Amino acid sequence: MQAGRIAITGVGETPFVRARPKSLLEMTVEASLGAIADAGLKPADIDGFVVNRNSHSADEIGFALGIDRRPFSAITDTVGGTGPTGSALTLAHLAIEAGLCRHVLVPYGFQATRPGGPYGFHSREPLKADLEMPVGYFGQPSYFATMANRYAYEHGLSEEELASVSIPFRKWAELTPSAQKREPMDLAGYRKSPMISAPFRVADCCLMTDAGAAYVVSAADVARDAPHPVVAVEGLGLGTTRWPHAMMFTQAPSIFDFPGRESAAAAFAMAGVGAGDLDLAQIYDGFSISALVQAEQLGLCGEGEGGRFFHSGAAMPGGRMPVNTSGGHMSGGYLPGITLLIEGVRQLRGGRGAAQVPDARLCAVTGLGGNSHATTILARH
Amino acid sequence: MGIPIHPPRFDSDLLRPFYEGLAAGELRLTADSETGQWAWYPPEMMPGRPAATLVWRRASDEGTVYSFTRVERSLLPGDHRAEVPFTVVLFEPDDAPGCRVPGLFVAGDDVSAACGMRVRLSPVQAGDHVVAGFAPIG
Repeated sequence: MQAGRIAITGVGETPFVRARPKSLLEMTVEASLGAIADAGLKPADIDGFVVNRNSHSADEIGFALGIDRRPFSAITDTVGGTGPTGSALTLAHLAIEAGLCRHVLVPYGFQATRPGGPYGFHSREPLKADLEMPVGYFGQPSYFATMANRYAYEHGLSEEELASVSIPFRKWAELTPSAQKREPMDLAGYRKSPMISAPFRVADCCLMTDAGAAYVVSAADVARDAPHPVVAVEGLGLGTTRWPHAMMFTQAPSIFDFPGRESAAAAFAMAGVGAGDLDLAQIYDGFSISALVQAEQLGLCGEGEGGRFFHSGAAMPGGRMPVNTSGGHMSGGYLPGITLLIEGVRQLRGGRGAAQVPDARLCAVTGLGGNSHATTILARH
Repeated sequence: MGIPIHPPRFDSDLLRPFYEGLAAGELRLTADSETGQWAWYPPEMMPGRPAATLVWRRASDEGTVYSFTRVERSLLPGDHRAEVPFTVVLFEPDDAPGCRVPGLFVAGDDVSAACGMRVRLSPVQAGDHVVAGFAPIG
């Protein structure tokens, strides 16, 4: 794949709220209509779909949007933040370059408050049901807390360093009117946050969100006719491990070694840039430890230095490497990966008001899907 | 220490020998019948060798804690508020390094789990079933 051949021309989101009395389809379509209008298009202009296996299908969304023809539609086979970022963009890139379509819609909806919530995915695994749930080892906070304790054993990680991951994301959320959790939080506030699965407090975990989000991908030369500055996809990288979801939290040689180095290397190679060239980053923050490790894997700091990187204030507003500038998933809202990608686009367009990173031209977006990982490099042309 | 009550679901009989072992005070894990190497968690098929089968073998009662977490809010389906806190450890038997068995940490409230801690199998009665537990050695 070549750098700069596709661009993200439209983005849309619904409000981020904990519980919304709308269906998944309604929220997905609301966000999709927003993204299509943002691209200066009409629904009939959309001729490609890349949907997620956990969301509605392209025919359901297409019907609701009133779209008659669907020459290209595909479904991503990765979960979490990988699917709606790197995997979806890879499929959109291939379809547009092959001439199958001109404008690809990537719609996504998420209902954390549906029965079973974000944990139902895990409870369906027979190995978890028989080996893990009977001893209470259940739910992402426990899985990732176990990673954090192992990371601390291998590299060292103080409570202050762990807190310094979530605190800057809250600072960015304070500057972002659409963020879901905006009340200020300092170290004292962090320590008041209820413990869930030590060392994780509520503040170390992503939010529970009901919402929709969507974006439109177009050929970069077509994007020049769109209403906004062109934000091109310069680099795309995907990484995977051999471990299925039922085993990766316990049996991988290192339980916190996500395939993020592999995806970053591929994305930087395609873009012809390095981590030192970035102006800002959006890093998938399902939990504080996952953002910390991915910051290392992206190359924002060395291995084992993630705690010190965040504790230095680098990720804060005004810091040398702003991270999660709309509050990320821990303060902004949790629609896996896609809202981070959308924030990257908005920063590169300019006009983020108090949260705008000055002269932002190059942004990395990471998405973690447990045993898969995506790194995307966006650039303002 | 609380004890979570959530019986194994047993969609299949695959894991029954694990619980039969615990009831007998033994830790039994799966191994590849041809190579003799441990294969844990038991995969439905051996990676890359579809004809291979699994056998159950007794593993060491003693080993180390790979990692752990102290659960203060249980996310198990249903109301489990009365069962917290408890600590889950990932146990590595001495003779099966890299194979990790989730279990309850069995110790007084004044003892905290730690990575690298030496522990021994100590099955725990959880309601009407027995689950894996591990207690500090010494």
